[in-house]
Amino acid sequence: MRKFLTLVRAGLRSNFGLSVLRYRVFVEKKDRWLLPLLGAAGLAVLPSIFGLILLVQNIYLALKPFGQERALLTLGVLGGELFILLFGLYYVISAFYFSRDLEFLIPLPLKPFEVIASKFAVIMINEYLTVMAIVLPVLVGYGVLARGGVPYWINAVLVYLFLPVIPLAAVSILVVALMRVVNISRKKDALILAGSLLLIGLSLGLQFAAGRAGNKELNGRLVTNFLASPDSLLNRIGARFPPSIWATKAIAGGFSPAGLLNLGLFVGASLALFAVILLVSEKLFYRGLVGLTEVSGRRRSLSRAQMSQRLSSGRHAVRAIFVREWRIMNRTPIFLLNGILVVLLVPVLFMVMARAGGGRGDAGAVLKIMTSAPPLLTILGSAAFMIVCGSLNGTASSAFSREGGQFWISKVIPATPREQVAAKFLHSYAVALLGTVTASAVAAWVLHIGPASLAAAAGLSLMAGIPLTAIGMMIDLARPLLDWANPQKAIKQNLNVLLAMCADIGVLTAFFFGILFLVKAGFSGTTILVALFAVLTAFAASSCLALVNFAEKRYHEIEV
Amino acid sequence: MIELNHVSKSYNKGRIKAVDDLCLTVKSGEIFGFLGPNGAGKTTTIKMIVGLLRPDSGTITVDGLDTEQDALKCKAVTTYVPDYPALYDRLTGLEYLNFIGDVYGVPRAERLDRIGRWLEVFELNQAVTNPIQSYSHGMKQKIVLTAALLPAPRVMVLDEPLVGLDPRAAHSLKELMREHCDQGKTLFFSTHIMEVAEKLCDRIGIINKGRLVACGTMDELKRLDRTQESLESIFLELTDK
Repeated sequence: MRKFLTLVRAGLRSNFGLSVLRYRVFVEKKDRWLLPLLGAAGLAVLPSIFGLILLVQNIYLALKPFGQERALLTLGVLGGELFILLFGLYYVISAFYFSRDLEFLIPLPLKPFEVIASKFAVIMINEYLTVMAIVLPVLVGYGVLARGGVPYWINAVLVYLFLPVIPLAAVSILVVALMRVVNISRKKDALILAGSLLLIGLSLGLQFAAGRAGNKELNGRLVTNFLASPDSLLNRIGARFPPSIWATKAIAGGFSPAGLLNLGLFVGASLALFAVILLVSEKLFYRGLVGLTEVSGRRRSLSRAQMSQRLSSGRHAVRAIFVREWRIMNRTPIFLLNGILVVLLVPVLFMVMARAGGGRGDAGAVLKIMTSAPPLLTILGSAAFMIVCGSLNGTASSAFSREGGQFWISKVIPATPREQVAAKFLHSYAVALLGTVTASAVAAWVLHIGPASLAAAAGLSLMAGIPLTAIGMMIDLARPLLDWANPQKAIKQNLNVLLAMCADIGVLTAFFFGILFLVKAGFSGTTILVALFAVLTAFAASSCLALVNFAEKRYHEIEV
Repeated sequence: MIELNHVSKSYNKGRIKAVDDLCLTVKSGEIFGFLGPNGAGKTTTIKMIVGLLRPDSGTITVDGLDTEQDALKCKAVTTYVPDYPALYDRLTGLEYLNFIGDVYGVPRAERLDRIGRWLEVFELNQAVTNPIQSYSHGMKQKIVLTAALLPAPRVMVLDEPLVGLDPRAAHSLKELMREHCDQGKTLFFSTHIMEVAEKLCDRIGIINKGRLVACGTMDELKRLDRTQESLESIFLELTDK
């Protein structure tokens, strides 16, 4: 147990960078602004949580007259579990197999289950923080409105503590089993990627199937039946994932026999699955792990002619750096999953959601609005969709962080900062372009948007992509995360990616209000589009200029 | 030629003085060995020469070019080998060499000749098409040395280049270092191996607690030590303070 706790402590320090943060803030006295910033970020979240609690209150009051209010708890629990399931996949793969601390942990006298259990615990703590915004407003809102006594709060805390176990254990078992198979082959990266895609595909498939089934069955008579019997909504929502029903009944039931029974079921199922992961890891973890970081290559010499064929004929620095960025991004599974695959998956996800409900789901509703709206709204809506798909990813905002310990090479090569950021910009923009093209295809196919509107939307999206890419890069360049040991940190757990998304959303919101103002002022659709394109062009030019100037300054300042 | 004029560098807002008023000249055609205990300021000095760190005060020139004012020109004539070769693991050795050849503007014909030669010297022929991820520490060291030699730079700065190399590769590297300087070029390297410094270097500098405590040819250094024994005894005496 002592070993386990030591491992968890070390894991937490490494995961949240606590030791480095303490050193930088209190010893080096460098990033002192970080503490107030973190505090401010924490305070900034409070209004959102308060807003969510108000939303919970409204839903509660709407469901209460029909005796369906407990369904709210099921929704909260299920939402949290689904969130953990989707994001947990990346955390588990990364923590179990790509974390560099494994090189130090394997030779230590530790049992595989101790290593896995400690990593599992660190991911759990991560997940408590991640799902806090989804689950806590529901638990708190419901508890206050239903006047849940002490038993409610005790059970709610217990359910919250055990909440991540089932989805994380399910993902972990899949991942450990998958890695055992994958590690047999030489092409590990490709197989890891294929495995990840398979898991994502499975979850999408489930969503598709659930959407279809749900919409087929939902008709007026059933709705009346639901409302007639208490908890029917709860049972329906949780039918595909019974632990969410147990969790609901455990929280709402308090210390009643039913409450305790359901609590026992929820906690028991969690512990059982946790035991399975420990058992599986004891058998399979090290076998899947040992040699994972070693990549064997065929040993063969190249003749002079072969060598000559493989040598480039003097690429310009910008092209050489672009090729380097492209290769590293595409060959690092975590980068690929979070960069290119995201821009391909988001439009596909939208398409699946739109198709799953047979046009009756949320995405289907968006589809109807888009196709029946005036041309200006269709173009702007499509452009917004393309921008979200193309530019709201972590490629630009991790452009420098992804270099990590290799940034020394960028500092010593005779390429100007202007050339280096130009190459990185082109790479990030190419990813945005890919997303825009995919989103355009989805818009044309699913939303049936005409070629003229599509071209106008794509034009706006591509122009907007320039400043958004530049802003993302500037945010990362301001404080690049270069001392990571796990590539996941550079893109998925990089604060810069989050900050850039917030900045991008801020910019898009400003444009939204600008357009709204023009519409209210009575300008024609064409005038608004031309004005928007002109403003975006000016914004693009000025942001590129700002990026180059900032790069000249930062490349000189950053020390490695 | 490398010149450091009153160069200082400190960390933690000036509380830790890593390099303190360092003045040093390394002439063209010279192999200069830089010695010092751990934490004496060797790597900090080297990083300032190649532009990874900025001096707090003082100036550094490479072939007469100021490393701050003419940074790009300095980089074009200098190559660097770090003490720990953090490389692009996902690229193959050849892709990395190609990248270096591209950014330094090495013509294709020369690239082919030089890569062929250094790969043979370092026995990397059979591994060059494999990802760097698959390389051992020594192989990474060899590929980074090959990359540093590829542009045929006028100045080479190497931080403990012999660490991780097998005896054959270490021997080849020492010969290459001599050949490089025999062409009138400059080589600055740090090492902990006294024997290598004693036999290979034209001049040696010893740094301790950020200050240069001795600098000169082996004969000049020996005159500092009454016993006039080995470089090791001189080093121990000068740094035992």
